[in-house]
Amino acid sequence: MAESGSAAELSGSLTSSALPPPRTRIFKIIVIGDSGVGKTCLTFRFCAGRFPEKTEATIGVDFRERLVEIDGEKIKIQLWDTAGQERFRKSMVQHYYRNVHAVVFVYDVTNAASFRSLPAWIEECKQHALGTEVPRILVGNKCDLQDSVQVGTDVAQQFADAHSMPLFETSAKSPNSLGDGSYRDSDHVEAIFMTVAHKLKSQKPLVLSQPAEGSGSTVTLSGGRNDDGGGGRGWSCSSC
Amino acid sequence: MRKHKRKKQIGAVGGNENGFVTRESDGGRKHKLTVIHQALIRDPVDIEALRRAAAGNGGLLTDELRRKVWPKLLNINVYKLPPKPGREVRENHKDYNQVVLDVRRSMKRFPKGMPASERAVLQEQLIDIILEVLKRNPQLHYYQGYHDVAVTLLLVVGERMSIAMLDTLSNFHLRDFMDPTMDSTKHILNYLMPILEQVDAELHDFMIRAEVGTIFALSWLITWYGHVLSEFRHTLRLYDFFLASHPLMPIYLAATIVLHREKEVKQTECDMAMVHHLLSHIPQDLPYELLICQAQDLFEQFPPSLLAKRAALQSRKSLSISSFQAFHLSTLHQRPDSVLQRLTRAQGYTTSRHGLEASPPAARGQLWREGNRMMKMAVWGLSATLGAAVFAVAQTAMDWGPDLILQLF
Ligand SMILES: Nc1nc2c(ncn2[C@@H]2O[C@H](COP(=O)(O)OP(=O)(O)OP(=O)(O)O)[C@@H](O)[C@H]2O)c(=O)[nH]1
Ligand SMILES: [Mg+2]
Repeated sequence: MAESGSAAELSGSLTSSALPPPRTRIFKIIVIGDSGVGKTCLTFRFCAGRFPEKTEATIGVDFRERLVEIDGEKIKIQLWDTAGQERFRKSMVQHYYRNVHAVVFVYDVTNAASFRSLPAWIEECKQHALGTEVPRILVGNKCDLQDSVQVGTDVAQQFADAHSMPLFETSAKSPNSLGDGSYRDSDHVEAIFMTVAHKLKSQKPLVLSQPAEGSGSTVTLSGGRNDDGGGGRGWSCSSC
Repeated sequence: MRKHKRKKQIGAVGGNENGFVTRESDGGRKHKLTVIHQALIRDPVDIEALRRAAAGNGGLLTDELRRKVWPKLLNINVYKLPPKPGREVRENHKDYNQVVLDVRRSMKRFPKGMPASERAVLQEQLIDIILEVLKRNPQLHYYQGYHDVAVTLLLVVGERMSIAMLDTLSNFHLRDFMDPTMDSTKHILNYLMPILEQVDAELHDFMIRAEVGTIFALSWLITWYGHVLSEFRHTLRLYDFFLASHPLMPIYLAATIVLHREKEVKQTECDMAMVHHLLSHIPQDLPYELLICQAQDLFEQFPPSLLAKRAALQSRKSLSISSFQAFHLSTLHQRPDSVLQRLTRAQGYTTSRHGLEASPPAARGQLWREGNRMMKMAVWGLSATLGAAVFAVAQTAMDWGPDLILQLF
């Protein structure tokens, strides 16, 4: 769906004011990475605004959503929190790669193995036709555990560059108390997901419309706006 | 037409049973206790009566009874339990990290009032149990959710009996989930939609249109609902049922849950995310007794063999299903505990009955007095939260007779 250029062109001739009020657009974002890196915590933090006291192993797929407003438009951000254990990847999570608008890869900065798994996750996405044309970001989680960092920012940045993804380092637990610099302060979980949302909004809008029972190309035309309103932090460079 | 009729049938059966629930009296309970007691002392054990009791209204009623009946349902000799795992069980196992990660995060599965120190002891036991069974069965692969099954067993029957039960379950009922991949599990999940189609074609079509898939039921299936229910007594009730049933029964129950929520589902937006979200969150006030009856009813009307004729289900072979007959037969010739105890003694086994300790009787008292504080804490933790009956677990030499009889009066 997401790469359907012809559908996007259709939208150029229409404007939102000419149509009945559009349905709320939905941005579907899949969150993947090894077991234990904190996918559930990150998605919970974004959708519920706090660190969950207890998480449990995610079996299959969990789903969380939050309504946000971007440039005056209400948008539903739908996060698909997937199981990290390898055996769930292939046969189970598959189904949920479809119709996804963006991918968030997560590793744990205190766990080098979770970083080494990233190429396999990227490959997994490619197999489901989620290549570079779909917005993808890399998130290094658990930055609050500064004493046990195993994956340095420089290494991660190199990797992110090589795969043309922006890198964010953060902590689902205490996103605001990341030690020293104030630039790190901007990397809280909220901002990360909002950046993705802005990026999606700045794309050709039609492809993100919620399809009405399968015939998605005719509804929710919000016009060909491409003002990149909120994506101010830039896409191509990491803010870390 | 057909659909309507079937629905009614199911409703009627469930209704009756539900009536029994509300009418259930002390008399009914006592009667059930007597039935179970008699089934247990029959030689061979009356396994069919135990199955009926476990699946039937109210299940096995108490944890004390579960400790007696569960092993019978799995053909386990409680006088020949595996020893407590030693330190080496944790050494270089490929799944060690994953197991630890999952067990450490499983706080919710333990009774709310349990002190953290006691829970920690049980969590360590849980890790050992899981790794022990995996070590004994190199062909089996750990999956996230396996720990939810293990913890349910541990909280009721203690460490050593849990190992025996988990070992058997893993080789039979849970076998398909423990392949190197989840393909067999997916195959089992594929039974769900055909059941729904038989009962409520409209609901079935709605779900097909939403492309919701069946992953919403994945954790139900592979944890026997232990992962999704917040009330432990509900989990126990379902474990009674599943231990006494065909390995596909959790799928039939999943079907009844979806059917039970038919209106809600149809009122939801016909969208994968919405329907998945709705279904994957189980309401905590489900009428379990009713649903259990309906699941049994569906199982009889649409047995797996009938569903398997359908295209999507033809290709694959399920080990759980194909081995069930043999498993079932193996449970038919069990001796009652009193006989087993005599026989085991005669054979020179010195193992304790309920398996919280592995030491021979002479050393046992001593160990209990001076040593292993951790172990004591674990037992006390259980006693405090699950009721005094659990104390019997600690009395390793105690026969099963007296405490059961106490309950009859
Ligand atoms: N210190 C710290 N711990 C975290 C952070 N995020 C998550 N954790 C902890 O890491 C563990 C795993 O977190 P989850 O969110 O459950 O991991 P997951 O990626 O969803 O794991 P699976 O569901 O198994 O795939 C939990 O014990 C969390 O409390 C963080 O930012 N800082
Ligand atoms: Mg998770």
